[in-house]
Amino acid sequence: MVSEKKETGGSVLFKVMQQHGVEHVFGYPGGAIMPIYDALYDSNIQHFLCRHEQGAAFSAVGYARASGKVGVCLATSGPGATNLITGLADALADSIPVVAITGQVPMVAMGSDAFQEVDIFGLSLACTKHSFQVRDVNDLAKTLHQAFAIALEGRQGPVLVDIPKDIQTAEVEFAVALASNLAKKEAAPSANLGTALTLLSQAKSPILYVGGGVGMAEAVPELREFMAATNIPSVATLKGLGAVNPEHEFYLGMLGMHGTKAANIAVQQSDLLIAVGARFDDRVTGKLAEFAPNAKVIHLEIDRAEINKRRFADAAILGDLKINLPALTMSLDIDSWRQHCSVMKHDFAWDYNHPGETIFAPAVLKEVSDLMPKNTVVTTDVGQHQMWAAQHMSFNDPSNFLTSGSMGTMGFGVPAAIGAQISRPDDTVIAVSGDGSFMMNVQELSTIKRFQLPVKIVLIDNEKLGMVRQWQDLFFNGRLSETDLADNPDFVMLANAFDIKAKKITKKEEVTQAIEEMLAHQGPYLLQVKIDAADNVWPLVPPNTANHKMMENR
Amino acid sequence: MNQHTLRITAHNQPTVLERLLQVTRYRGFSVTGMTMFPSNESNLLDIELSVSSEHSIEHLNHQLSKLFDINDVVIDGKSSQQNSA
Repeated sequence: MVSEKKETGGSVLFKVMQQHGVEHVFGYPGGAIMPIYDALYDSNIQHFLCRHEQGAAFSAVGYARASGKVGVCLATSGPGATNLITGLADALADSIPVVAITGQVPMVAMGSDAFQEVDIFGLSLACTKHSFQVRDVNDLAKTLHQAFAIALEGRQGPVLVDIPKDIQTAEVEFAVALASNLAKKEAAPSANLGTALTLLSQAKSPILYVGGGVGMAEAVPELREFMAATNIPSVATLKGLGAVNPEHEFYLGMLGMHGTKAANIAVQQSDLLIAVGARFDDRVTGKLAEFAPNAKVIHLEIDRAEINKRRFADAAILGDLKINLPALTMSLDIDSWRQHCSVMKHDFAWDYNHPGETIFAPAVLKEVSDLMPKNTVVTTDVGQHQMWAAQHMSFNDPSNFLTSGSMGTMGFGVPAAIGAQISRPDDTVIAVSGDGSFMMNVQELSTIKRFQLPVKIVLIDNEKLGMVRQWQDLFFNGRLSETDLADNPDFVMLANAFDIKAKKITKKEEVTQAIEEMLAHQGPYLLQVKIDAADNVWPLVPPNTANHKMMENR
Repeated sequence: MNQHTLRITAHNQPTVLERLLQVTRYRGFSVTGMTMFPSNESNLLDIELSVSSEHSIEHLNHQLSKLFDINDVVIDGKSSQQNSA
């Protein structure tokens, strides 16, 4: 046998990445990953130096979500690795394909409480889909191939590969092998299709409940064809936004805790819920026992463990939505239900009337949405601004709205926007943030500066941790514990310090021009929008309450 | 509380037991007994896991079946519902 050229473990890492089409990675070097960074020096893969490993992890998540490719992040052992954890938890909770590479102390030092040694494998158990620790350089390439395959198969998710420093320097014969096939892990598709077709044909008031799985399955065209054929009323989850054409006549918007009144009432009144890539999350269902109480359920899912987890499925259809959605297509005789939904949609439409001079965040975000170019990617942080963005902005694809849904991670927005901008350099990317969340990964402004990324930031500023403050007012007798941020820094000066153009607006009449100026600016831009701290997100379904018993602005 | 026994076939990776127990605990099941038998011929591990919980055993079955290093999970047919004080 003719030997292949000897490579180091570090070099093998980048060769395998190239075989998987990786062009961009996010990371931060340190002692135990130095041989990998040395190999990077000779690689064609472009590395984006973030300013905190959490930023690198979220940029990888944003990259993956905006492009549909696997996001890759690198960190050193110990604190570098632990700083990835929040990003991995976020990726697991929202089913995002990410491969995280961590350096580890040399194998001889492992288990000795060495400098910057932490059991990242143990820590990763609860926040990854799978994780590996490589203990033989001959296993490295195979393990990395598996990591990419696992991240993408079935329900997607993050995979961590921990590589001791001596494995990174060890020499190995690297053959350009094809990616190894995964042992088939998915259960054979099973479908209760006959029952589902009967339920659908007999339904008088069916509704389509669209989740994030539609985008993850790349089944947006199939969903829209199904909707065109059935003309069925629909609602979407936070992560499902963008899957349904927002112009569809019987699309009622988001359901759940901050869902539209029309969406929540229609779901409560429905006699059949068709859950598509959705999992009956508690923020969606409100009080579970009273969620859609008269509805039968058809559940289309990729993950067997979600079937019957929170709601019994009268018909479960497990497998690929691209195949299973078309199989359900039929014309439906539900005219009076459609009209009822349409009337609710118009009767309960958003009201942007906001007395006084102060700026109304929902109106600003609606205007940004109306003025932004087609295919703009919007990321958000977490809190009031996030729910206002979900309610008042429109997206034509799930990959254009990146928000930390299940984990609800503050600090997501800016680094996710960085990843999105790198994966889609020709599209506009806007991070909608709040003054609380923005400060959680503010160091990533340095990444924007370093790579001259034209990310736009709309900073909704109420000098509060607004969502917590809203709950304190509503459910904690107005005891405003630790939610005042009146001592925020000067955000315009802060942005300027990173060579980011910035502007602050405080009055309604400034809004339109400021948005136009931001969108026209070629480079990065921060628009600070001061709003009234008393503004709340409405409607709101209180905890453990049925969704039709929502609180509204009065 | 429901008592159940699962018969699990897993790849004998150094990490598989940790992950199995992590998922079992997180999904709300207490381990009441565990035996494992490494196979002589293959790199497989047979595990007998007894658990108790108020949750459906199907729930744990599906979550464990998803794990990459777990090949097969069978709920022991002799398992019975018991009332505990």
